[in-house]
Amino acid sequence: MQYSQKVLDHFRHPRNVGKMDNPDAYATEGSPACGDQVTVYIKVNKETQTIDDISFLSYGCASNIATASIITDLAKGKTLEEAKNITWRDAMEALDGLPPVKVHCSALAADTLQSAISNYEIAHGLKEVPDFTKQTIIDELKKIIYPKVGEDIVTLKMVKYVGFTNGEVMIDLNIPSFDHWCDNVADEIREHLQKYPDVKDIQINFP
Amino acid sequence: MFDQRIYLDNCVTTQPAPEVLAAMQPFLTEEFWYPASFVSTGERINAVLDEFRSIMAKTINAQAAEIHFTSGGTLANNIAIKGLISANGSPGSHIICSVVDYPDLLTNAAYFENRGFEVTYLAADGEAYVSPDELRKAIRPDTILFMATAANHVVGTIQPLAEYGKILADADHKIYFHVDAGQAYAKMKLDVIELGIDTMAVSGHKIHAPQGVGFLFVNKGTKVGQVIHGVRRIDNLQTGGISVALIAGLARATEMIFSDLDRQIDHLYNLSQYLLYRLESSIDHIELNGARERRRAGHNINVSIDYIEGEAIAMMLDLEGITVATGSACASQGLQPNYILMAIGKNHVQSHGSIKFTLSRYTTREQIDRVVEKLVAITRELRSRSPLYQALLSKER
Repeated sequence: MQYSQKVLDHFRHPRNVGKMDNPDAYATEGSPACGDQVTVYIKVNKETQTIDDISFLSYGCASNIATASIITDLAKGKTLEEAKNITWRDAMEALDGLPPVKVHCSALAADTLQSAISNYEIAHGLKEVPDFTKQTIIDELKKIIYPKVGEDIVTLKMVKYVGFTNGEVMIDLNIPSFDHWCDNVADEIREHLQKYPDVKDIQINFP
Repeated sequence: MFDQRIYLDNCVTTQPAPEVLAAMQPFLTEEFWYPASFVSTGERINAVLDEFRSIMAKTINAQAAEIHFTSGGTLANNIAIKGLISANGSPGSHIICSVVDYPDLLTNAAYFENRGFEVTYLAADGEAYVSPDELRKAIRPDTILFMATAANHVVGTIQPLAEYGKILADADHKIYFHVDAGQAYAKMKLDVIELGIDTMAVSGHKIHAPQGVGFLFVNKGTKVGQVIHGVRRIDNLQTGGISVALIAGLARATEMIFSDLDRQIDHLYNLSQYLLYRLESSIDHIELNGARERRRAGHNINVSIDYIEGEAIAMMLDLEGITVATGSACASQGLQPNYILMAIGKNHVQSHGSIKFTLSRYTTREQIDRVVEKLVAITRELRSRSPLYQALLSKER
């Protein structure tokens, strides 16, 4: 397993790194317990709605730092609407690929950027706090990477059923329980859903 | 690229000593034979193998006939564990080991658990020490085997083998005592009689012998069932071919270290203590994993550096020409934190931020100084990027 030269370059010489004073919005995603956490800060030009300045902090491995670095590079100077289209696939492509077990780092970086933009929009009255629905769960599951192949579990058709009633999330996964990556995927799902106040309980079932 | 490299991952493998390579040479060239009877070529190899067995035997107070050469530590562990259990137990029998054992022992325990044997996994304390009391309490009338790892492969903690041996000897029935000495052999004195050990596995490439050779001590009279079936060439337990050249290398490495073992032990101990002192006095929010001073193997220092992640630290050190290991989940193939650190009560963050330095006879004080100097700069750099450290700074302000 080896990193590309681009990953190494962004790891050694990260762009836009550091805490920002007085950002217009910021977001933190991930958790130290899962071994990675990213914060993205943005400054937005009110007239043009472009991201004038952006920076990040990262607690994590080399690819965590590199993906956060590239995501800020990709978003800088873009309008909010343009930046909203930046995905983990863009980050990965811009880094000339990542080893499959590291793809989740690019998902975290893209996720944090999108949360920072969303926080900005909510704070500036550009959108309401979205309701938590089944679709929210599905959108979160699209960010969960199956580390063996480096693709998200929705694209891989590993999600058989999603239910949400009275604060209880129920997810059936199509991954055999003896799969080496089972616990890892379940932990990631919990981490992604626990941050929503509407979620009281999460049940994840394997066949 | 690797000329000036500082290699501090000696618990995985060590550089073969030049003397060792020289000792192997004849058996790769003019004396390439295998043992045989009544022919001079074969008898010559019989004689050197006998000599090599005596060399190994002396180092652990054993007899030459009790030494079985193998193709490494894992093979020695498997031959002993599977052999002891097949000869002395049956499904339902009870086996004891601990949660901090080497994977060779734990994977074998799981293998037998899946086949109907009962396994008790002894708990370890916060320093990875497995108390003799834990063993005493776990013994049952149907216990057939206790396995222990003499020095922990992650945090270096030395287990109380002598006390284990006494407890097992005092039991009202025979309980076999198997020891993995991979990280302990040639790092401390191991007297198999004094310690009451029945079988013990040793790996060659941890002590400057080449990769692919080790030995198994089997106490005379201990029944070990056949695990590897095949033609008998060098050894009756590991049948088939074992490289005579590699065995010659192992014997030479052993002679080299045991000719002044006390000095070697002190060299590693003093250097590792110096490394720890330098780390603790130059980096804040750093914590030693495992026991202090003489209660850990002299070549091992394992620390957790708070607020930053181990794979990033190890990679930055690597870019500076320094090889170390980390217990971070991010650096593992399975994205799981190190099981030893988790078993001794460290949290995910401490495991993610753990760095293991393992020293060898070739490690120098100058190398340690360079490693600390680089690590201080790397820690500063990574902490400047870390949201956890920045949050701490904000709180302190």
